[in-house]
Amino acid sequence: MNRLFQIEWLKQKHYRTFWVVMGLYYFSLLVVTTGGMALLYWLETQGANFEGISPTIVPLYDFPDVWQNITYAASFIKIFLSFIIIISITNEFSYRTLQQNVIDGLSPQEFLLSKVLFIAVLSFANMLFLAIIGLGMGLVFSTVTDWSSIFTYTEFLPVHFLEVFTFLLFALLVGSLLKKAGFAIVFTGIYVLIIEPILSISLPNSWEAVIQWFPIRALNNLVHIPFPKYIFMEVQDYVKWQELLIVIFWAVALYFLNYLVLTKRDVKG
Amino acid sequence: MSTVLTISKLTKRYGRITAVNELDLQIEAGQVYGILGPNGSGKTTTLGMLLGVVRPTSGDFSWYGQPASAEARRKVGAILEMPAFLPYLNAVQNLRIVCQIKKLPFAEIDRCLALVNLTERSSDPFKTYSLGMKQRLAIASALLCDPGVLILDEPTNGLDPQGIAEIRELIISIANMGKTILLASHLLDEVQRVCTHFTVLKKGKRIYAGGVSESLGASNLLELRAADMEALGASVARYSQAEKVHREGELLIGQLADGSTVEDLHEFLIKEKVVLTHLVVRRKSLEKQFLELLSQGDE
Repeated sequence: MNRLFQIEWLKQKHYRTFWVVMGLYYFSLLVVTTGGMALLYWLETQGANFEGISPTIVPLYDFPDVWQNITYAASFIKIFLSFIIIISITNEFSYRTLQQNVIDGLSPQEFLLSKVLFIAVLSFANMLFLAIIGLGMGLVFSTVTDWSSIFTYTEFLPVHFLEVFTFLLFALLVGSLLKKAGFAIVFTGIYVLIIEPILSISLPNSWEAVIQWFPIRALNNLVHIPFPKYIFMEVQDYVKWQELLIVIFWAVALYFLNYLVLTKRDVKG
Repeated sequence: MSTVLTISKLTKRYGRITAVNELDLQIEAGQVYGILGPNGSGKTTTLGMLLGVVRPTSGDFSWYGQPASAEARRKVGAILEMPAFLPYLNAVQNLRIVCQIKKLPFAEIDRCLALVNLTERSSDPFKTYSLGMKQRLAIASALLCDPGVLILDEPTNGLDPQGIAEIRELIISIANMGKTILLASHLLDEVQRVCTHFTVLKKGKRIYAGGVSESLGASNLLELRAADMEALGASVARYSQAEKVHREGELLIGQLADGSTVEDLHEFLIKEKVVLTHLVVRRKSLEKQFLELLSQGDE
């Protein structure tokens, strides 16, 4: 396992593009997960209030709400993390290093595993970062800081890990199929932001049973939007088993599809 | 001698096109084996199958009697087509990846870079290398696992004359280390210079296989020159064992009859008081053989 991870790590650790994209991603992540309070203060200066009450009292970073709030916010920018995976896999085709790796004695299965291990580590680091942000922001802003409040709803962290992990497997598949970084990034963007949303909107409501199986929709369904509760609307503040199972199905299916693409066609392009 | 590679009835079809057609080949330890053929004759496809990046349609092959596997490939050093490395990494960083794949200690890297004379540039990114340096790095990479067998595909393709000479010298010195080498090339001259055995492919079919020295050994054609060409011509004309005597530019060409030797002719000329400035026994040309083979294959 370590050998396979090291192979991918040796390819990335001296790659400037990797560190630049990582830097931009983590900067954006920091902004969307910690910028809530700043946004509320800004709203206050703009004169926004709820019947005389300042918006700054909205408990965005209170335990245990903080976990759902930050994982929900983080899910919007996961697409930037996918660029790292797309560039990493398409480089292997454009520089013909996949072919050379196989010639040197790496089986296509091992090659896939080295990418998937890297994806797992990226997703785990992402989760760890969110755990630290959540804990830090909570300890600063939360009105309650007892242990049980802190650890309630922390299941959103591993669930977010699964969301990012599965999304990166999706990006890996797009990259292996399209082979060119530009195409793959544009396709992923268009699919995530345009094709799937339009398809789900244009289908009648009775199709919800089908729509919830769309891969991006399924991933976004893991952590539901938490904010309407601050204006006293009902929200889903837990992870539904059915929704979790759909994503687990996709993680397995995407791994298998990646496997088929890498092992069933000639490595030599 | 032990058998390094056995290929039997190896075939690759792309739709209706048969790139490699029931190829049989056996390579023994210590041979420098050339695969010759015009472009598109199936050389690279054959090596691609041996290296696990092209799936054979049928047939099989074995390394050292073992069936093909990623495990077996780790003990083979190979480059296919152009050298493939990550352009943003330097030589050492690129070779570390290869070491990790082949389960070798990083300590092997310095030895191999020194062998191909790249130590000085080893910390510059691959993308700054000339084609000759890229090719040398590829050979260093192939030598990392100290392989018994080395596979090279068109190793001098696109190089300038100096680069070609460097790579050839390198190949010969590697062969002298006792390694088996499988070399694909469309350059006849290259195969003639470095190989001990060769096979000729045409449209995916093997049309010839044999030793270079047997098929390219000494012929009975002689090249002669003397200060006084007139006297030389007259003397050789009197020599009964010389046939088909004719001029080719500055040279007098003649064929010795079967059973007569160069020594006999030389003695005769000394008696005739003709002093030679040039005497060469012509080798059969691979080019002629090659073209003959290819045209025979048409029938």
